[in-house]
Amino acid sequence: MPSSEYLLEVQGLRQYFASGRGKNRLVVKAVDDISFGVKPAETFGLVGESGCGKTTTGRTIIRLCDPTAGRVFFDGREVSGRMTNDLRKYLTDNIAMIFQDPIESLNPRMTIEEIVGEGLKVRGLKDKAEIRRRVVEMLVKVGLNEEHATRYPHEFSGGQRQRIGIARAVIVKPKMIIADEPVSALDVSIQAQVINLLNDLKEELGLTILFIAHDLSVVKYFSNRIGVMYYGRLVEVAKGDDLYKNPLHPYTRALLSAIPQPNPLTERTRQRVDYVPDRDHDYSTEQPTMVEVEPEHFVLCSPSELLEYRRRIAQNV
Amino acid sequence: MFGRYDMDEQIRNLPDSYFELVDQDQLADGALPTTPIGFFKDAFLRFKKNKVSMFSFWMIVFIIILSVIAPFFNRYSYVQQHTQLRDMPPRIPVLEKLGIADGTRVLTNRRKANIENPDLFPPASVLEVFNHRVVNGVEVVDAVIDMYSYRNAKDVYFWFGSDYLGRDLFTRLFWGTRMSLLIAFFAVITNIIIGTVYGAISGYYGGTTDMLMMRITEILAGIPYLVVVMLFILLFGTGMFSIIFALTVTGWIGTARLVRAQFYRFKGREYVLAARTLGVPDRTLIFRHILPNSVGPIITRAMIAIPGAIFSESFLAFIGLGLQAPRPSIGILLSDGQKVLLQYPYQTLFPAVLISVLMISFNLFANGLRDSLDPTKRGEE
Repeated sequence: MPSSEYLLEVQGLRQYFASGRGKNRLVVKAVDDISFGVKPAETFGLVGESGCGKTTTGRTIIRLCDPTAGRVFFDGREVSGRMTNDLRKYLTDNIAMIFQDPIESLNPRMTIEEIVGEGLKVRGLKDKAEIRRRVVEMLVKVGLNEEHATRYPHEFSGGQRQRIGIARAVIVKPKMIIADEPVSALDVSIQAQVINLLNDLKEELGLTILFIAHDLSVVKYFSNRIGVMYYGRLVEVAKGDDLYKNPLHPYTRALLSAIPQPNPLTERTRQRVDYVPDRDHDYSTEQPTMVEVEPEHFVLCSPSELLEYRRRIAQNV
Repeated sequence: MFGRYDMDEQIRNLPDSYFELVDQDQLADGALPTTPIGFFKDAFLRFKKNKVSMFSFWMIVFIIILSVIAPFFNRYSYVQQHTQLRDMPPRIPVLEKLGIADGTRVLTNRRKANIENPDLFPPASVLEVFNHRVVNGVEVVDAVIDMYSYRNAKDVYFWFGSDYLGRDLFTRLFWGTRMSLLIAFFAVITNIIIGTVYGAISGYYGGTTDMLMMRITEILAGIPYLVVVMLFILLFGTGMFSIIFALTVTGWIGTARLVRAQFYRFKGREYVLAARTLGVPDRTLIFRHILPNSVGPIITRAMIAIPGAIFSESFLAFIGLGLQAPRPSIGILLSDGQKVLLQYPYQTLFPAVLISVLMISFNLFANGLRDSLDPTKRGEE
């Protein structure tokens, strides 16, 4: 059953992709049994290396893919079941998505007004002047102006396009936004612009954000809680500060050790840590489970690892 | 002097008050200086630069206009027969003075006595007698004969000559062009509509739906084309409708495959996913998001299909499955002309030139369209 604490709750979500038949059948476990929750008005960061299933998780939640197993609850209502028109409406009204590629995510044959106003149109708003007014209002909110409404996407820079993507997501007044690597295709100066914009909108509209990224410094800046994924599994979930101060899972430690440091003195002495699952874990006799080591700090570990982690925390505090 | 590490130390310990946040807190981008250019305008600008395509475009327009108005240029209709004036050579008012299209014919191997007999050839009609020779003891000559005065019709002008029933070929040619173009346009439009809808459904839904629909097209494409056409014409009789229908039976399959491929290409794009997450219904996704992006190849294909359809129609007419007589089409004119190709070559020449110009123009026009609608495909066939 869903916990009332969370706005979005994911329980044991699995997303497998199968290809081929018979002998050639190949199953890719893109997302393999992950559980987490996102509280109202918080930003939950989902990080991990390329191909670890972050994006698939986001897409499965919003039902671009149908989950293989597991349940997803949004505001107490299950959204992972059979797709009905009613469910689709509930889902699309409440969750919006921002995409990774600012070039790919805007239809090149539509004007900005059509792109941003589409959500309103789908929701039955017929009055052209009213759509126009709200589109312009939204465009101004994301730092564009009225004149841009008649333009086509190819006339804008990457950062501007990403802001258009944000406008499109926010104009339908969703409760939650899934931001799928919204800044990874932008250069650093523009990243700050877009992140700050998202932050402002979040505060203004009380949005909840599931923030998917592979850039740890961006995630740290932006997220209240962070989940770390590796090979389709969630290996650690903690509050942002906790995770950076006290990484427990060896993969999290490896990931954090890969962040370049802006200070040349410490960067020079920074040590990379490798993560080799076969070496770092011994799961031959015990299976790992998600355990709450500290309050709000979950780690995927076996009982013997749990003891080790507990010991380490005791030393640190 | 600071050492290297001292400077690092210094920089590191600078008080926060030294720094100012550069980031503007209010984002506001200015208006763009250029005018907005949509997809078709952009394509048009690119198309205009292509001289060959522009030329073929105007050529097509010219032929279409001719096919509409040319039949009214003279007083003959395409059915009007002149049994006295059969197989007349071309005669055009101004050009006849230059010796081109002056209504003359060269008669070879005639008895000299016959040529000189005023009862057979009125003296005014024999323009030139040459190549005197004796064959088997008979004096034989070649002669240039003015057919119009020979037939006593000095005031008649058949610009492109007349056929075996004395019908004006000029009127018939442009009437035929009109019919051929109409058949081609209707056949292609039907093909494109059926193919687009079929391919869109197949490509968008994919999976089993796609598999079944594509197998159906393969079965259809496997039936021999000519047999299908003959059955159609047996069933519905010859006429415009059954020819258009015959061209449609298998013609839409190529379009369906093309559109399906385009849908596979675009349906996974992020903007389509984005529209889906906004709750946009399937129909809108297909016709508003995916189809406009694949419109380039579809238009190009339509333009390439038109000369193909004209040619197919001519081919059908040529083997005797064309329009009902006396209606002309380019194919019917060609098939009539080739029966007398050696005696009256002009009866084949004019339709042949016209169909060639038409096909080349359409092909070049389609090439230019493809280049301007999708510049990345430039130079591909």
